[in-house]
Order: sequence, then C-alpha cells, then structure tokens
Amino acid sequence: MTHSTDNSAGSTVGAPITGEQPTPRQPLLRVDDLHVDFQTYGGVVQAVRGVSFEVAAGQTLAIVGESGCGKSVTVQSLMGLIPMPPGRIHKGTATLRGHDILASKFVGGQDIRGREISMIFQDPMTSLNPTMTIGRQIAETLEVHRGYSQSQAFNRAVELLEMSKIPEAAKRAKQYPFEFSGGMLQRAMIAMAIACEPAILVADEPTTALDVTIQAQILDLLGDLQQETGMAIILITHDLGVVARMADDVMVMYAGEVVERGSVDDIFYRSGHPYTQGLRLAMPSNKRAEDGGAEQTLLAIDGSPPDLFNPPTGCAYHPRCPHAMNVCAQQAPAQYGLGSTSASNQGLSHQAACWLHHELCAAQKDQP
Amino acid sequence: MSATDLTQADFAALPRQHSADQLSRPSLSYWADAWRRLRANPRAMSSLGLILALLAFVTVGPMVWTVDPSVQDVDHIGISPGADRQVTLTTPFIPWEPEALTPPTPSTGNPLGFTLAQSATTQSVRLTWADQDSPRRLYRNLFAPEDTGSFGLPLADLDTPYFEDRLDLQPETYYYTLVALDAAGEESETTATLTIDVTRVISIAQAQERGLIQPDESAEIGQTLKLAWHPLGTDYLGRDMLARLMYGGQVSLFIGLLAPLAFVFLGVIYGSVAGFLGGPVDQAMMRFADFVVALPFLLFMILFKVVFGIGPGESGILPMLAAMIILLWPAPARLVRGQILQIREEAYVSASKLLGATTPYVVGRHMLPNTLGVILVTITFQVPSAIFTEAFLSFIGMGVAPPTPSWGAMCNEGIKSMLTRPHELLFPAMMISATVLAFNLLGDGLRDALDARMRGAE
Amino acid sequence: MSKSANDYTTANPALVEISHLVKHFELGRGQRVHAVDDVSLSIYPNEVVGLVGESGSGKSTLGKTVVGLHDKTAGQVTFNGTQLPARYGGDDFRAMASKMQMIFQDPYSSLNPRMTVGEIVSEGLRLRQDLTPAVVQEKVAHWLRLVGLSPDHQSRYPHEFSGGQRQRIGIARALILEPEFVVCDEPISALDVSVQAQVVNLLGDLTKELGLTLLFIAHDLSMVRYISDRMAVMYLGCLVEVGTSAQVFFDPKHPYTETLIASNPEADPEHERQRPSTTIQGEIPSPINVPAGCRFANRCPKAMSHCSTQTPLLKPIAGEGDQRLVACHLYT
Repeated sequence: MTHSTDNSAGSTVGAPITGEQPTPRQPLLRVDDLHVDFQTYGGVVQAVRGVSFEVAAGQTLAIVGESGCGKSVTVQSLMGLIPMPPGRIHKGTATLRGHDILASKFVGGQDIRGREISMIFQDPMTSLNPTMTIGRQIAETLEVHRGYSQSQAFNRAVELLEMSKIPEAAKRAKQYPFEFSGGMLQRAMIAMAIACEPAILVADEPTTALDVTIQAQILDLLGDLQQETGMAIILITHDLGVVARMADDVMVMYAGEVVERGSVDDIFYRSGHPYTQGLRLAMPSNKRAEDGGAEQTLLAIDGSPPDLFNPPTGCAYHPRCPHAMNVCAQQAPAQYGLGSTSASNQGLSHQAACWLHHELCAAQKDQP
Repeated sequence: MSATDLTQADFAALPRQHSADQLSRPSLSYWADAWRRLRANPRAMSSLGLILALLAFVTVGPMVWTVDPSVQDVDHIGISPGADRQVTLTTPFIPWEPEALTPPTPSTGNPLGFTLAQSATTQSVRLTWADQDSPRRLYRNLFAPEDTGSFGLPLADLDTPYFEDRLDLQPETYYYTLVALDAAGEESETTATLTIDVTRVISIAQAQERGLIQPDESAEIGQTLKLAWHPLGTDYLGRDMLARLMYGGQVSLFIGLLAPLAFVFLGVIYGSVAGFLGGPVDQAMMRFADFVVALPFLLFMILFKVVFGIGPGESGILPMLAAMIILLWPAPARLVRGQILQIREEAYVSASKLLGATTPYVVGRHMLPNTLGVILVTITFQVPSAIFTEAFLSFIGMGVAPPTPSWGAMCNEGIKSMLTRPHELLFPAMMISATVLAFNLLGDGLRDALDARMRGAE
Repeated sequence: MSKSANDYTTANPALVEISHLVKHFELGRGQRVHAVDDVSLSIYPNEVVGLVGESGSGKSTLGKTVVGLHDKTAGQVTFNGTQLPARYGGDDFRAMASKMQMIFQDPYSSLNPRMTVGEIVSEGLRLRQDLTPAVVQEKVAHWLRLVGLSPDHQSRYPHEFSGGQRQRIGIARALILEPEFVVCDEPISALDVSVQAQVVNLLGDLTKELGLTLLFIAHDLSMVRYISDRMAVMYLGCLVEVGTSAQVFFDPKHPYTETLIASNPEADPEHERQRPSTTIQGEIPSPINVPAGCRFANRCPKAMSHCSTQTPLLKPIAGEGDQRLVACHLYT
C-alpha cells in the first residue's frame, strides 16, 4: 500500500491524531448506516445497504458472511480503497475517534491509513511488491508515517519481523517476497501493518489461503500482538471456526445488510437470525459427535446468495429462509434488540434483523 | 418502517417457492452472446458494414460498372473526377493563315496588343499581337503567373506577331504570357498575359470513329456531345479509375483474405498438434517455427518470383501468396499452441478423458471450440496486414505487374503525378486505408465480444 | 435428524487396492518433485475414505494417479482384483469409465463453457455410442433430477449456474455412467459455506442410494470427518495415519495428526477459549528436497534422535486391529 503524506498543516509527523481518547469501552471506530453502491454498465449494484457497527480498543470484531455479502466492500470503503467512480458512498458516516474519515482520510494533516488503521489482505503474494525486499517495504511505512531515517526504519523493520515470529529476521529482511512461503509472507504483511502501531488492524480473510496449521499460527500471532499493543482488530472471514476462536464481537452480513450482531457467545449460543443458525447447522459439529451423541445431518441452506443487481424485496434472506412469512417478502425488518448481554461481557448489544422477533409473531424460532 | 400497521395475517408463513434456483435470463450460446455484444459496439458494426460494402464493391461492382479497366480513353488522360466532359463537334482542322490578318492595335491597357485571334479549342489556340519592333517570347502556364511567379513553359521566340499553339492542348485554362525582348535579347519589363479557356472539340468523322455518333445519326457542327463518364477520373494512361479500383480491389482483397485464411489454417493445425503432443515433439516443432520466423520476407518474395519464373510482364500474385503462406504461419501457430497448452490443463479436458474420450474427440470437441475465438480474432487482424503487405510489395514493384491493377500498384503509379493529379494517388490510398482500418476495428470489436465470454464468469 | 452410517465392512476384499504407489514429477536437471511416495491404502466396497492433508501433501496427485490421469512412476493400483495399467491409453480410459470416475475441484473450469448442460452430462453416454438419443435424453433428465436440478436446465450453459449448481452438474456427469468408485478431488473447497452442506449431503445420499465407494479428498477436516467412514492423513507425499474417522479425529496418534486436529478451529467459542496455542513450528520442507528419515521430524514436538535418519513405516498399532495404522517411531 502506498501512502502519501501531507505535512502542510505543520503538525508533527509521528504523533497520533488527537481526538476523543477512547475509554475502555468507548468505540474507537463508529460506522453508521453506511451505503455503498457501484455504477456498472449492467445497472447499479448495491453492495452495502445500511451497515452500522462499532469497534473498541483491544477488541476483535469479526464480520462474517459469504461471497457477495459486502463485508470486504464495507472495510475497503472505510480505507478508501474503492475507486469512486464507479463506487459511491451515498449515505452514512464513519468516525475514528470522532473524526469523520469518509470525507477525508487525512486527519490533522496526516493520512490515517497505515498510522491509525492498517490492513492486511487475503493473498500476501499479490499484496507485497515483488520487486522490493521485505525489509524495505516495511521500512517504507516507517519512513513515510514516522519520519524515520532509512537505517532507523530498517532496524525497526527487523524488530517487527522478529515480533511476527519470523526466524532469522535480519537475513529475511533482505530477501524478496518470492523467497518466502505463504505463511511467512502473511507474517511479513502483519509486521508491515503493525509498524506504526495502529489503533485498528483490519484483516480481510487473512488465513483463507493458508493451510490450517499455518492459520493457527497466524491467528495465535494476531492474538498475541493484540495483547501486547491493545489494538482493535476487524477480522473479515467466512469461517465460523475462526470467528469462534478470535472474535469478541460478531457481525453477520447477508446481501449487503447486517442481519445479526452481538457478542460471540450471543451469536453462537443464542442466535436470533435464521441465516446465522443456518450457517451453524451447515457445519459439522465435532464436539457433539465426540461426546458420543448421534451425528446431526448437515442442514443445508437452499438456494444461493442473491443477485445484487436485483436484491429481493423485503428481507433479502426470505427466499431461502425456512421461517419466511408474508411480511418478510414485503418489508425489510428493523433491528430487534435481543436479550441482555451479561455484565461482564460489554460487547456489542445483541441485535437481529428478523420479523420473527416482532411481537405479533407467534411462531417460535428454533433454538440452536 | 412502521411496524404498527402490520396485522397477524402478515405473519402467516410464506408459501415456499422453489424459485430459489430459478434462472431468469434467456439462455444464449457462445456465438449468439458474442454476436449480441458485437451488435452493441457501434464502431465494430460500422466497420463490418464498411467491409461488406467493400466486398460488394469489388464483386458486384464490375457487373454494374462495366467499363474495362485496361481500355485507354485518349480524350481523357488523367482527368480528375467531375471534370467537364462536353465536346463540341466541329470541322476538321483548317490551317491558319495569319498573314492575312490585320494585327491588333496596342491600347493603354494592353500595350503589346496581345489578343486571341479565334476561339480557343483543343485543335489550336491562335494568338496575335501588335506589330513588333523587337522579338517577342511566348510562355504558356497552367497556373497564373502572379501566383507562381513564373511565366511557365516557353513556347517560342517570335519575329512575327502571331502564333498557333497546338502543343498537347487540354480543355483547361491556360495562361499565355508575351514578353518583349530588348535589343540585347534579354527580357524586358513589358509583358502581357492572357487567360484562355480551351474548349474540347472533335470532328464529326472522329466522333463517328469513336462511336460517339451512330452512323445513321445526324450531326451538325456546333452540336455538343458528352464523352464517356469517368466518375472518379482516369489515370495517366486514360484508364477509368473506378473500374481499376474495382478490379484492383479484387486482387487486393483476394490476397488479403485468402492468404491469412490459408496460413492461419496451417498455423492452427501445426500449433494444436504441437500443443497437444507436448514434450520434446512440441519443443522441436516450435524451434522449427522460430527458424521460419527468422527468414527474411522480401528476399523470399524475390526468390519465389525467380523460382516460379515470373517474367517482368506477368502478374506476381502466385509467388506473393506462396511467400505469405510459407512465411507467416508461425505467429498463429504459437498463439494456438499457447491456448491449447492452457486448455489442456483445464479440468473439463481431464473429465472428458475419464469418460472415455479419444484424443481426436477431445481436441475437436473441447479444445478447438474454445480456441476458435482466438483464431477468429487472429484472422481478422491478419487481413489488413496481408492487404498492406501486398500493397507495399506492389508499390515497390515486387507484387502484381501491370496491366493487372491492384491498389498498391495504383498508388505506385499515382505517386508520379501526385502534385498535378492527386486523385490518382488519393483514391487507391483511401481504399487501402479504409479496408485496413475497418478490419482492425472489426478485429478489436470481435476480440472484445469473444474475450469477455472466454473469461467465463458473469 | 441424525446421519445414518454407511454400510461397509473391511472384512470383504478391497475394491481398490493401492500398493506402494509412487508418483514423481521430473523437473529436469536431476530434480524431481516427490508428490506421492510409497503410499499403500485399501478401499473397501461401499465405504467413504477421507483423505486429508495440507498443501504439498500430494493428496490430489494421489487421487489423479489412482484414476489414471497421471502415469504411475512405481507401484500399482488394483481394481476388483485386476491390476490397472501404469500408463493409460485411450482404451484403458474407456474400459474404466463405467467403473471409476472423478469429481473435480473447480466448478468453474470443470465444465466446458461451450457445451450445454445436457451435452456435458450426457458426454459419457454419447461416447459409448450404443444408446439411442431418446434413451440418452431420458437418462440425462433422470440424473439432473437426482442431483437436485431440473431437466429444463439441459439447454442452458454453465455460466448461468452458481458454483454449487455447477458442482451438481459435475456430479451428474460423473455418475451417469454408474461407476462403482468415485474420487472426489476437493469437491467443496471452492464453494460458499452454506452451499458446501448441500453438496456434501448430496454426495452422502447418492453414496448410500447407489452403493458407491468414495475417496473424498479435502483439506476441511471437519467435513471429511463428517462424511467419511475411514480417514487417512497425508504429509509430504506419505501416509502418516489411517483409521476410522472417529479414531483419527478424536484420538489421533501421529504428532502431525494431533497438530492438525488441534489447529482446526471449532465453531464453538467456549471450546476455542480453552484451546491451547498451537505447538507446531517451522515450515513444511520442499517436496523436491525431501528430508531423510521421517519427513515431519523437523517440526515434530515429539521428535526423537533417530526420527531424522530412519523412515517410519505405516504399520498397525499393537492391540488396535489391523486397520489402525500409523507411521511413527513412537509406536514401534
């Protein structure tokens, strides 16, 4: 990722942006009713339709969904990675420590990307410049955002590689991306992302392309780094196992909308939306089988994710939902608050966008 | 969203539609979809229209415009399109007796008294001027002297005050300048210029000879006739340009379409065999293709001309075709081989083998159809290249020989009179440019139409 | 609703016997990729054998070699007692087409985009040339229904279908010849989570209804455990552990299998909170320069001194019957 600096405001390079200092549970990043669409020759694709969430320091928010649900577009639009045109944020706000980051990615004369929010991507091979050494790429971030000299930056780069548990870091820093394996590259990318000690790390499917054992190492690394630096992590994935492992809060997306959100326990043990339940029932439950219980047949969800050129009317999930009612095809449901989160877990309040929670609804939804 | 106006009925179960797997859009085969895309591309469609028009021009054209391209129309050497083709009937040439005339008198506007003695025709232009004390020099120019700064062609130095010009008179405007010479024989400042419009005339006998008047038709002196119409003018030998363009187009397009079809076909076979067999056979075949690429084209053209024993007067179409086919097949071969190598790895090829398909079936049913798009685009881009090659070769004299017309050869001839008779160069050059451009744009359009589908996912 | 178990037994003779199979790819200059190195596995009628491993394990290569798409460098594969050729010619494929088939990984490249669904599914039948078009048509309709699609879809093209639907088309294509043994090469890896269950269920149902035998190759451990009766684990070209799915998954013996299962994230937050950190270190070695001795030795938390010099053989564990195999010095 290349970053440009704008020092014209005369602010000190290297200082964190001023603004609201988050208290332990005050949100660092707040996104409200975000709408992103794309003008394509085939029509308008509504990729993100009203997404709201918050992220607090030291917490991990997982955004879960399948292909086409809009999870990547949501965070990419926050990072300014969506070309506009054809993309367009036509509604919604996003604030980082109170500063509006949709209007401008520059706060206090500094680009927040790389400094306050960093991102790592799915395929490290294409996310790193193949013609620059790894050490150089990490050093670049430090030179640009922190004003380090070349040698200072390089030394710090080696330290960061060590923090990412890359063996022989000094030697590796002088190597090129093609000399690294997939897992190592992902570590290098993490090192680059945390170089400026960002407040938030966005990880877009960071382990999807990796083997399961390497995935475990990378997830452990992210957890450790979070403990050490107190940064928040926004983790995008389609793997519920990864969510269970890493997340404090979870947001489930479908067809560009948030269908359910809450703490990770809420989502897994007290789910309030048929889609979330469907996703869980579509995965084999190893624990139950181990306990000697009868193996549950996988319950597949019928159909496929919708065509975003023409989203279904009402609730986007209704064509596939086993509990669909007449109202579901007519009107999109509001977000209903569910239960109360336990006092010790001050995660996102548990909400689900489903008509089943309407007072008039007599049907009992299945409990997991 | 007001949830207050909802009733219990709204919460009744929605009847299950099994439309979850409904496919709404109509099904289109690969070619139908590609055609649809092509149709939506205005540049490609106008190019296609232009190409069809050109093909009609060279095939149907000669049946409509039945003029023979090798016939010379001596009245119309090198005329531009839309030139006047009136001719007046007149008596046969009557010699002039200028001595009997009274010389004109000089006047203030015309100190030399320079005048036209009789109406100027293509038979002769008769000029006379006032009695002279010193010799006069007569010039003739196609362009006005004040524009060009030159009097033009010196016709004669004259001691007598009259002159009859019979030198290659065309029905044009001539500028005659009379310059008085001083005692030393140098030109003086005294000049006079006449602007003469020459009328085309022929005698009745000549008209009958050329079939302009039928034997039993009556004809009178002074009657005007119309000569043969040449809508695009004629060339330096008087041959009709339109007819030459049509026949020349036949030659150019014949080579331009046939050669690419032939060498692409050859290349496809070679490339698919190499790609399919793979391994050392593929390597050997590709090295041979590299060797062919290295051979110099022009040298081979000349070599073939010699080998085929084509003399200076004979048309050189065959050696040109042979050279192109023999030398140009490696490029499509490489392209097709690359495609085949790629397709070989696709899962559907493996699946087909597992189902018991034989090699010819796999190649014919799976590999080649998926390569057709690339092949078609290649051909479309090779056509303008071939046309241009033919034009170039004819231009430098290595291609078709006269009298066989071809657009390139016509350009070669047209270069010589580019400044005076630009139409001779302009028309064939425009035809070549239009054809090349049209095929290139069509190729672009085809590639877009076919490529988008080749990438697969909608 | 609980999942019913497959009716299989290891007492019968094996349907497919893989015996010391080796597949190397030559890279030139004396270098070769040791994709599959001395793998022996018995697959019994009506069972589903799951084959798991990470990238570089050679599991896909093994599947393709068994089916004949790769030539065998050494070793043999026996089907119903008959030895299969080391190198397949066109006749061999034709002879085996109604016995062994394959379902491919990528739903996007496994169907020829120029052919209609009907043509794709009927290809196997049409190649036999002994059936009338009417019969072929009827069979295609039957199989499309069996995989959950409509016969109306015959005239449509693959690009009009979603990934899950394309996979079903691939399944119909493979099964229309009614083979006994089907190798499934990562059939669900390219699909969305909610669609994977559809395809897995379909395969499971068809296996029971048609009495198929499956070799299910995948890297999703939970899915493999769910669908398979027995499971085999591969690492860098060698089998390291074989047993029933329950045994391998819940009571792994080989240190690699332990790490693999331990790394597999469970969709259960409480369970994950109690999971210890992963213990595996280092990188998987290159399949070109395979280390001597046990290939897992450089990363094994329980490695002993002789692990890097002596290669452990895949052998039954004492006292657990002859179907519980492991290749580890800890058990010899």
